[in-house]
Amino acid sequence: MASTSETIYRSLVSVWRSLRSMRTALILLLVVAVASVFGSLVPQLGVARPAVFRLYVDHPLRARIYETLGLFDVYGSWWFTTCYALLLISLASCLIPRTRAFRRGLGLRPQPMRGLEGMRHFTETTIPVAPERALDRARGILRRRRFRVAPVEPGLAAEKGRARESGSLLFHWSLFLVLVGAVYGKGFGFTGQATVVEGETWTEAHASYDLPPDEGRFFAESMHQGFGVRVEDFDAAYHPSGLPEDFRSRVTLIDGDGMPAGQRVIRVNEPLEQDGVKLYQLGYGWAPVLEVRFEDRLLAAEPVVFTTRSPNDLTAPWRGVVKLPSLEPDVGLELRLFPDPVAGLVGGPMLEARDPFLFYDAWRGDLRLDRAQSVFALDKTGLQPFGPGGGFGLGETARLPNGVEIAFTELREYTQFLVKRDPGTGIMLAAALLTLLGLLPALYSSRRRLWVRAIPADRSGTRLQVAGFAMQRRAAFEDEFRSIAGELSRREGAGEPAAGSEPVG
Amino acid sequence: MSPEGLTGASNVAFGVALVMYLAASVGYFHHLAFRRRGVLVVARGTAYAGAVVHAVSLIARGAAAERVPWGNLFEYVTVVGFLIVAAYLVVERLWHAEAVGGFALGAAVAALGGATIAYVPPGPLVPALNSYWLWIHVVMATLASALFTLGFVFSVLYLVQERREERLAARRASVPAREPALVAAGAADRPEDYVSAEEPEESGAPVHPSSRSRLPAAATLDRYAYRTIVFAFPIWTLAVILGAIWAEEAWGRYWGWDAKEVWSFVTWVVFAGYLHARATVGWRGRRAAVLAVIGFAALVFNLTVVNTAIAGLHSYA
Repeated sequence: MASTSETIYRSLVSVWRSLRSMRTALILLLVVAVASVFGSLVPQLGVARPAVFRLYVDHPLRARIYETLGLFDVYGSWWFTTCYALLLISLASCLIPRTRAFRRGLGLRPQPMRGLEGMRHFTETTIPVAPERALDRARGILRRRRFRVAPVEPGLAAEKGRARESGSLLFHWSLFLVLVGAVYGKGFGFTGQATVVEGETWTEAHASYDLPPDEGRFFAESMHQGFGVRVEDFDAAYHPSGLPEDFRSRVTLIDGDGMPAGQRVIRVNEPLEQDGVKLYQLGYGWAPVLEVRFEDRLLAAEPVVFTTRSPNDLTAPWRGVVKLPSLEPDVGLELRLFPDPVAGLVGGPMLEARDPFLFYDAWRGDLRLDRAQSVFALDKTGLQPFGPGGGFGLGETARLPNGVEIAFTELREYTQFLVKRDPGTGIMLAAALLTLLGLLPALYSSRRRLWVRAIPADRSGTRLQVAGFAMQRRAAFEDEFRSIAGELSRREGAGEPAAGSEPVG
Repeated sequence: MSPEGLTGASNVAFGVALVMYLAASVGYFHHLAFRRRGVLVVARGTAYAGAVVHAVSLIARGAAAERVPWGNLFEYVTVVGFLIVAAYLVVERLWHAEAVGGFALGAAVAALGGATIAYVPPGPLVPALNSYWLWIHVVMATLASALFTLGFVFSVLYLVQERREERLAARRASVPAREPALVAAGAADRPEDYVSAEEPEESGAPVHPSSRSRLPAAATLDRYAYRTIVFAFPIWTLAVILGAIWAEEAWGRYWGWDAKEVWSFVTWVVFAGYLHARATVGWRGRRAAVLAVIGFAALVFNLTVVNTAIAGLHSYA
């Protein structure tokens, strides 16, 4: 009677055995393909966060089910990870014995010739050359055709096309390198987002990102580089049709000591790279400079970052918020900016600033700044409307009922950078190149084996037997074999000048 | 010529090419059915001429937009259609595969006809596409797509032909004395050759298992499909790698599981599965061909549904 441990052991062995079969690897490969499809059909937290939230609002039950199944983060879910982990284990268990066999094969002596006559391709001719000389010639001819040649009594064994197996091994092992590159890059890298208004300087440090940057498991805060960029100017260019043409930020690089270190341009497709950190042009928007005064006291004089709900629809006004907690009671302003009111009021896209105009609504009460909140919105639970609101253009001043004055002194733009460090990209690139490098011989070369036997015949001649086969591309080998056999059995002197016929003297 | 003039010329040439492909396709089918040598010559000539006219259309469009003519969905599919014809003409030369010409040209007609749904006049590129990577990444992707399409055509024909050969073999088994010639020549009586290699046997002329079948034998079609796909696979791999390099340049990450990336990956995996299936006992032949069909379906899904219905970074292409 089998004990429980024995049963477990047996089933483990059978699982391991099935993992080692190519069929299992193939099925796992297809399972990974099917699994990854889900991530493109269900919105993913990493790519389309708003769509996920919308699903929770519109279809709460469905969203709950998706969440339980991990469908909002397919590529980080336990079941997807399990699938590709199993695939990689299965792959490794196929590759290890293959690699071993391949290495053994490298040092192995060629197989002795047996039953040449029965091989797929076989020719026999008699040539008037001594056997040793015939074999010498054969060795030269085969080497010239880039066969590996080894002596096998009584003749030669030749082989070609080992690149097929070595290429295949290289390709498959490189897939593991892809995993190494991804894990290393994520572990020691980070991703963050930075919003910088024209004229301001941003420093690459943990605290200066819009939100805390997403840092890898092995990334320490001290690994931030400390260089800075001062945004001199941002420019969004549009085609006459209103389609975007180019977004560019002109920046001055500031080194770790605070000294300017040259002018750079950051554009879409042209990131700035400094100390292994890359800055990508991500977004932009308007930042009106608002000076707020109360009884000749300057409460604020800062550019305020305005946002838009959809960056692709420039017909909508930009929205911004000013919070004035130093007043008693607190005052908050909601502002709408029309960079180009003439175009905007008729529903056209506002591509550039032309007589920019601000509308505002004022609120009074408790801003509740003791709670965490967005800088882009007012928490209105403790606020009441304050005055009728109104509008004012660039260079003008609005006055609230309590005497607070808001001056619209300047309209600047801000630029948004995706800031990223990924030390794994080099490994990924190497892995990708190795993959390709292995793929080509693995798919296109074919293994071929040839044997040449020289048997002494009468009158110092040789009976030359040539035999061989190909494991792939057999039709092409047919021609190759015919050509090789023809060359080997050609009478000396027919193709090249024979030694004896050389003119003497 | 003005941009408007070039656009007009490009569109006219596009229409002419489409009609010529259609005519060539009909010609190839006629040849398949009735074996008229003259019709074949005319069909082939029409296909070549159509490709030239199509090339003119592409060049004019590029000139009108002042950029490479593969910057949006319409242009992408148009280029794929062009490359299907070009690849088929090469294949015809190499393998004398005239019998499948009607299907290949038909695929090109479908591509061009489908592209017109997504027609937009030539215009500038969105900033994210404005990169030299557009050249090479898209060329590789379109070329691989065209070859996968041919592989799909061969695989479907293989499935049809294989089924027919099987039926014939069954009938032969039940009536052994009636058709001795077919028994000697059929592919079914050499199964050991067929399963012994990744690439099926090709020595021995492909023999039609039925005098009524004008298509190549199933084994031949299988070989065509394999060769096309094995050629396309590294190109697709390269296209995906180049896309990753470009994504790193443009979006700050080489891989982000964007819908387009997911489906490119799925396509890659399915065709990788196809290549492995042929080396796996029990998966050769029919199952492998089905995988090729699924791979093509993933490719088409990536171009149609992913571009139009799923929002993503690739939404413009």
